[in-house]
Amino acid sequence: MSETFVLPVGPQHPALKEPTSFRFKVDGEYIVDADLRLGYNHRGMEKGCEARTYVQDIYLLERVCGICSNAHMTCFAQGVERLMGIEPPPRGVFIRCLMGELERIHSHLLWLGVAGHEIGFDTFFMYTWRDREVVMDLLEMVSGNRVNYGMQTFGGVRRDLDGMQIKTLLEGIAALKARTPYYLNLGATEPTMVARIAGVGKLPREKAIELTAAGPTTRASGVDFDVRKDDPYAGFGDLIPFTIVTDNGCDVLARVVVRAKEMMASYDIMEFILRNLPAGEVRTKAPRKVPEGETVSRVEAQRGELIHYIRANGTDKPDRVKVRAPTLANWPSTLYMLRGAYLADIPIIMAAIDPCLSCTDRMAVISDVRGGEKVWDWETLRQYGIEFHRRRGIRP
Amino acid sequence: MSLRLGAMLPEVFRHLFKRPATVLYPFEKNTVPARLRGRPVMDPDKCIGCRMCERDCPAEAIEVTQESETRTDDGKVKRRFSMVVYVDRCAHCGQCEEICPAKPDKAIKLNEFFEEAAFDRGALKIVYK
Ligand code: SF4
Ligand code: SF4
Repeated sequence: MSETFVLPVGPQHPALKEPTSFRFKVDGEYIVDADLRLGYNHRGMEKGCEARTYVQDIYLLERVCGICSNAHMTCFAQGVERLMGIEPPPRGVFIRCLMGELERIHSHLLWLGVAGHEIGFDTFFMYTWRDREVVMDLLEMVSGNRVNYGMQTFGGVRRDLDGMQIKTLLEGIAALKARTPYYLNLGATEPTMVARIAGVGKLPREKAIELTAAGPTTRASGVDFDVRKDDPYAGFGDLIPFTIVTDNGCDVLARVVVRAKEMMASYDIMEFILRNLPAGEVRTKAPRKVPEGETVSRVEAQRGELIHYIRANGTDKPDRVKVRAPTLANWPSTLYMLRGAYLADIPIIMAAIDPCLSCTDRMAVISDVRGGEKVWDWETLRQYGIEFHRRRGIRP
Repeated sequence: MSLRLGAMLPEVFRHLFKRPATVLYPFEKNTVPARLRGRPVMDPDKCIGCRMCERDCPAEAIEVTQESETRTDDGKVKRRFSMVVYVDRCAHCGQCEEICPAKPDKAIKLNEFFEEAAFDRGALKIVYK
């Protein structure tokens, strides 16, 4: 006869460096059911945006996340541009796109390393992170800094590329292009690695659609959804060619393969951009005040579809900014994948969606549907806590 | 694709003879990129006191104060401004440098200094006057 019990994991736990809390109903080593609690991380950024001007907000939103900073910046910039009724010049569009792809490479290499680390393959982690320095150096050369590139602005990009930089970029991309197949090969043929990731974290195609998975997670389940194709921005669609990468494996192995192949696709995009860079300005002048209106801006961040909602009221400050990060879209499918898995696979299944809590988490306010508001002072709250635990047999 | 045990081994052995990929910071330092956005430095001789940097700074790290007002012989008013930059708050976005209208040279620029850690927070309040 099987017996289950509930195993609480988190909010602080070794599987992820950010706070999130799980309740696993386990039967021995098997996870029978999984539940998630969000709301441990509150930074007040959306509210903060309302108190600042658009120019300040773009830097604030860049700092929503250290890994996809450029995606947030691009998403906000293009949304506000739409409201302003301006468009960046072609050279600006190309460099905007280039930054997005460079960021995708650094993020995917980082993710590959983390995936290796989560399954105890630290050699893999060290190699990928060493090679990631190549793209970090390129990002640093173009933007000045390793993290938070500050490249996007309303009406284009803030820095241009010169001939020397284009040459260095092409060399760096060629080096990475030669290196990436090695990781793809290793991920798919190294038996110790394959044993840990093949068949783990299954997410069938119809489930991926039903649970609204995003980014490489959904593409590894055979769904060909990518904002770059479905709602083209930054030159995709007409100016810059792009091939979508999918895999039908539906497991963690497929997610490794999709990310590695996506990097190869990104190299092609970047080479095209650098070889066909239009001449001219990189930005147009943008007004400081934004006319009344609202818009939804979408970008394919490295983790999936990123959405910004912006409502303008005619002043130089937004009325409302809402950020929907790809990780939020991926939680329901993660819970699905965790059900029926082994306890030891929790870290890699979670890591496989490339979660980012700093983007995703909001404060949770629970309103009492029975009505009525209660104000408790500290002492009452403390007594309630002591009583609560005493009833469960725990002595204070 | 067939599985291959030890697919990584040749690479691992090759690394026995390679130099380490890391440098021994702080004893060794990499050169910083030319475009680095380091510490904001202001030049009171060039500042025209428009306060655009103060208004745009997302971190509210800049305070501009008028220091003096003198009248030159030909009747022109000449004002001099000082600035406090709280570099512990600065996000190194470079917006101040970008917006500064002073000509022919910008009055505020980000230099190449990046090692901002300090034991005393007071040391991170920089006054330019
Ligand atoms: S670099 Fe950015 S954060 Fe720092 S002082 Fe200038 S505007 Fe403010
Ligand atoms: S923007 Fe330039 S000129 Fe204006 S106050 Fe700042 S430093 Fe002075």
